Amino acid sequence: MDRRNFVIGSAAVAAFAAVRARAADDYPNRAITMISPFPPGGVSDTITRPLDAALEKVFKQPVVLENKTGAAGAVGAQYVAAAKPDGYTLLTHIVSISGFAAVDRLFGRTPKFTNDSFVPIARIVADPIVMIVNKDLPYRSLKELVDDAKAHPNKLIYSSSGLYGASHIPTALFAKAAGNLQMRHLPTNGGGPAVTAVLGGNVNFFMSPTSIALSHIRAGKVRPLAVSSAQRIKSLPDVPTFRESGYDLEYYFWVGIFAPKGTPEPIIKILREGIRQAAHSREFLDTLANLGQDLAYMDQPEFAAFWAVDAKRQEDAINAIGRVQG
Amino acid sequence: MRLRADHVAGAFFVAFGLLVLAISGDLPFGDLSLPGSGFMPKILAVLTALFGAVLMMRAGETRPFAALHWNDAKHAALVVAITAAAILLLERLGFATTAVLMIFALLTIIERRRLAPAAAYSLGVVIITYVTFVYVLKTPLEAGPFGF
Amino acid sequence: MDTTLHSLYLGFSVALQPANAWYAFLGCLVGTLVGVLPGIGPLAGISILLPVTFGLNATQAIIMLAGIYYGSQYGGSTTSILMRIPGEASSVMTCVDGYAMAQRGRAGAALCIAAVGSWIGGTFGVLVLTMVAPPLATIAIKFGPPEYTALLVLGLIFLAYMSSTSLIRTLLMACLGLLLGMIGIDNMTGDFRYSFNLAELGDGIGIVPVAVGLFGLGEILSTPSVSAVKDVIAPRLRELLPTRQEWREAALPIGRGTALGFIIGIIPGSAHVISSFLSYALEKRVSRHPERFGKGAVAGVAGPETANNAASTGAFVPLLALGIPTSPITAVLIGALMIHGVQVGPTLVNEHPDVFWGFVASMYVGNVMLLALNLPLVGLFVTVLRIPYAYLYPMIIMFCIVGVYEVNNSIVDVWIMLIMGVLGYALRKFDFDPAPLVLGLVISPILEQSLRQSLIMSNGNYLIFVSRPIALGLLAVSATLLALAGLSFVLKQRDWRARLAAAEAGEAER
Repeated sequence: MDRRNFVIGSAAVAAFAAVRARAADDYPNRAITMISPFPPGGVSDTITRPLDAALEKVFKQPVVLENKTGAAGAVGAQYVAAAKPDGYTLLTHIVSISGFAAVDRLFGRTPKFTNDSFVPIARIVADPIVMIVNKDLPYRSLKELVDDAKAHPNKLIYSSSGLYGASHIPTALFAKAAGNLQMRHLPTNGGGPAVTAVLGGNVNFFMSPTSIALSHIRAGKVRPLAVSSAQRIKSLPDVPTFRESGYDLEYYFWVGIFAPKGTPEPIIKILREGIRQAAHSREFLDTLANLGQDLAYMDQPEFAAFWAVDAKRQEDAINAIGRVQG
Repeated sequence: MRLRADHVAGAFFVAFGLLVLAISGDLPFGDLSLPGSGFMPKILAVLTALFGAVLMMRAGETRPFAALHWNDAKHAALVVAITAAAILLLERLGFATTAVLMIFALLTIIERRRLAPAAAYSLGVVIITYVTFVYVLKTPLEAGPFGF
Repeated sequence: MDTTLHSLYLGFSVALQPANAWYAFLGCLVGTLVGVLPGIGPLAGISILLPVTFGLNATQAIIMLAGIYYGSQYGGSTTSILMRIPGEASSVMTCVDGYAMAQRGRAGAALCIAAVGSWIGGTFGVLVLTMVAPPLATIAIKFGPPEYTALLVLGLIFLAYMSSTSLIRTLLMACLGLLLGMIGIDNMTGDFRYSFNLAELGDGIGIVPVAVGLFGLGEILSTPSVSAVKDVIAPRLRELLPTRQEWREAALPIGRGTALGFIIGIIPGSAHVISSFLSYALEKRVSRHPERFGKGAVAGVAGPETANNAASTGAFVPLLALGIPTSPITAVLIGALMIHGVQVGPTLVNEHPDVFWGFVASMYVGNVMLLALNLPLVGLFVTVLRIPYAYLYPMIIMFCIVGVYEVNNSIVDVWIMLIMGVLGYALRKFDFDPAPLVLGLVISPILEQSLRQSLIMSNGNYLIFVSRPIALGLLAVSATLLALAGLSFVLKQRDWRARLAAAEAGEAER
């Protein structure tokens, strides 16, 4: 390499470094895109839209929610995993983000992304799961349902929002905790159809995110048997937890914000601070209360630790379910 | 025997049905009481091939293959080529730039319109569309390296 | 009844407050725009404008968002009739006869009939909604997987009436569509089917890319500008309105479309998509001139467009009465209401009567506004046809690309659209009709899933399909239709299809 090229080369490197440093300094200086891998109307979408509106006020830059849907949330996640890690493309995803790689391995496919492809930034909400049965069914307590399931293997049917999805996993964990119950699984296309299956009497129970089931419980159309949180929850004070009922299950339908791996640390820091402010803003808290959810905010270090444990739980459950016959 | 249009079409569907059958070999068929993931696809592939064969057998009354006109093929191929180029560029240059280039190319290359009106028209259409989507309806369109 | 009237009075007093009427108008205006522009469907339109409503109260928010929803249903027919671009699955059938009408210079009439049909379908839907929403919803919820399976079997039988080509061609197209619908992750086992390692194909092939490719782009590929130059189809102003004869032909289809669409609309799940297809097939089945379908039959526009709108109103029954989202769009509306602190569900009427009845009344008001908004726009839209074809079709291609890309922000969808355009070109060369293909694509994922779900419910016992009354009834209708077809075959009656085939053969000889 001759001298001239060398000079130009180092100048370019210096300029590039300067651009990078500046990029962190005045980040964000243009619109941020938040990818939502689910169609509008889903829990992650309803939570993230108001959050983005609050985040816009903090950053004084547009925060645009873009739905890249498909393959139960894998398409959007894959898109962000491959996106430029500059802090302008973020991901909002739910508890099921940890399952894709495990499912891929189960089917002998190479995972297109793993949990290491993302940097967790913050957890926003964590909705406990509530087990609901149709009001016309005889079960008054979780124990009655378990006894019936034990006495008649393969008699009970449960619905889920989808195979290996956010409500199939806790049901599998529950079946295992209750002594390997044999039950039939009716996968549907989402939380709405899964609740409808219970209301219409086509299945016996569904383990639903609490926010989805709440209005049906209040209307007396379905009966809650147990919630999956560590303590009883405010909105359903009379419903025991799974632990109280004697089954070791703690599970949350959470929504978190992620950035692609390799996003510079200074930018992550700005994002953490911005999302913390937005999540605690009055307007966002009001919206959450209306949605029947509580803020379950976790900052990065705490969220990362929580996620590691949660992901392990997901993988174990998926491997326990195994490949479905048929 | 003359080669007729339906001989070609029927043969295509027979081949297509067999191809689908070939690439779905590892999908489990299951049984009637518990259909597997290969149940419907395999039945449909067989039906497609079957109906294709019927079409071939009854092709006698239809138009000869040679009677098909292909005089619109050149136009179609050019449109497909330009559209494909636009799709390749869409996520690299962004919507606005790509759409201007595509309309301009269609007008000048295929329709042989003069450059100035073609440029004015493509710019005008895209600007109106862009403003309507992005500013009136607040729908983000794919942005390019220039920020639009 | 008295209480209903009283409640409705309360509703109108809410809906006609200037501020609320203004938001209804705003919603209708945006909805029309969203419906006319391909790409922004009602789903995207509502969710994008959701944050705008954060500053409004709950009643105003829902009035405006619902305005966007049914406003977009009105606008959906416009691009189908003028450019043969189906903006969404439900307007595919409008592409067939609507565009054919436009080719005959009756674009204005087609648009008017679509608007009036939408208005009648929508208003009637609201009327029924007002009277009997809760009991209807309770019945609708019994519609489980076995009933779905039976409904789609009926849909398959109707397939035979979808197209004016011979039966074997229709069946081939249907098989192709059903096969395309198999692409993607199998919901029941998690197997990837024919997705060629593309995650974007995981949820299967979308209906919009296929329909836009086959109809919109396919039409352009087969129409070189040299052959289209002399075709001036822009009508004069006084020719915009439908003639007396056209109104007469539209009247009964509008009535049938209203009833059919509303019934299908209240079913939870994705059934509302097939309402326009079923209405088209029904019209053709009962028509005395089935051979006119596909060549610009008024009934082929009036029926499906009305059914589509009645179905989208019917979808509010389970939403308002039970709080169950029957489609992604109603799910967004539920989310919007919840953000404003209104719990949707059986308790809504008692807890928030002003929201419920204000919303219902605003649907009456909104439908009138939409009619008033859309009829004058017909004149404006038709001027699009005055653009010379050489300039028009590049713009159509641009709308095809935007329309397909914006649905999922997926470039793979746009490639699918291009491939389908080429396929549409080839199919046309060989005299195949793409409409049954699209219906096959719509039906097959739901049919397969509900069949397998039913068998899970019954432990593999097929008796489940005849032991449930609704499913049994639907299957009985299917069997009757098949038997009638078989009978006419045995009696060697030459029906319209045979006459048509004979005519085709005669043409081919020349």
